[in-house]
Amino acid sequence: MHEDQTAAAPATLAIALFAGMAAAAGTRRLDLPWSGGTAADVRRLVAEALPALAALAARSGVAVADRYVTDDAPIAAGDDVALIPPVSGG
Amino acid sequence: MGSGSQTDNALGAAGVALVRGPIDAAALLATVGDAAAGGNVVFVGTVRGLTAGRRTTSLTYDAHEPLALATLEALCREAIDRFGLAACRVRHRLGTVLPGEASVAIVASAPHRREAFAAAEWVMERIKCDVPIWKCEERPDGGREWAHPATTARPGGDA
Repeated sequence: MHEDQTAAAPATLAIALFAGMAAAAGTRRLDLPWSGGTAADVRRLVAEALPALAALAARSGVAVADRYVTDDAPIAAGDDVALIPPVSGG
Repeated sequence: MGSGSQTDNALGAAGVALVRGPIDAAALLATVGDAAAGGNVVFVGTVRGLTAGRRTTSLTYDAHEPLALATLEALCREAIDRFGLAACRVRHRLGTVLPGEASVAIVASAPHRREAFAAAEWVMERIKCDVPIWKCEERPDGGREWAHPATTARPGGDA
């Protein structure tokens, strides 16, 4: 990513989706406009952009760069973000 | 967080793994062995073909692989400290798994059986709360559905 481009174009956040969220969205990756905010804001953004994901998004954890983060963690455009809906391993 | 190097020894080089082929529980048990460990519990979770009268043809597992591995490793380290384990191992399948096949295996090795049983159950419970692995249930009529259990806490809730 070039700095002159990020200054001109609106920043986007790439959000990885899994399981039922990926199935409902028809994709494993969402690119949404991002002007900054917290992990909790990422959940809200996804719920607003894709109402079909709202219920699962509200119950999802947020991970950045392969670590869970707390709701108040700041998220920057370019962060490697994933939504983690309720898990069902085993 | 407990004793670093002792925990590292107990976790081993391949303490946790996500695998796409069959899980060999006996081979996993054979990776642990400590003269002071007299209680060794192997838990194997297998795919049910029948749940409350409903048939399942297969389960397909998805995962956030790096986060799942990091979370599994942290769980094993915590189990080693919490229960005084000599060793802890976890294997979990990804992809499609048929009824009767193992989807998960846990080995907990401790000086005495009580801690080993408790640790294996504790690790399994934590897997079902925090490890980003999901199953999709596939039925004889072609229907398929991802399982996202109703929970009070979000995954990684105490991150």
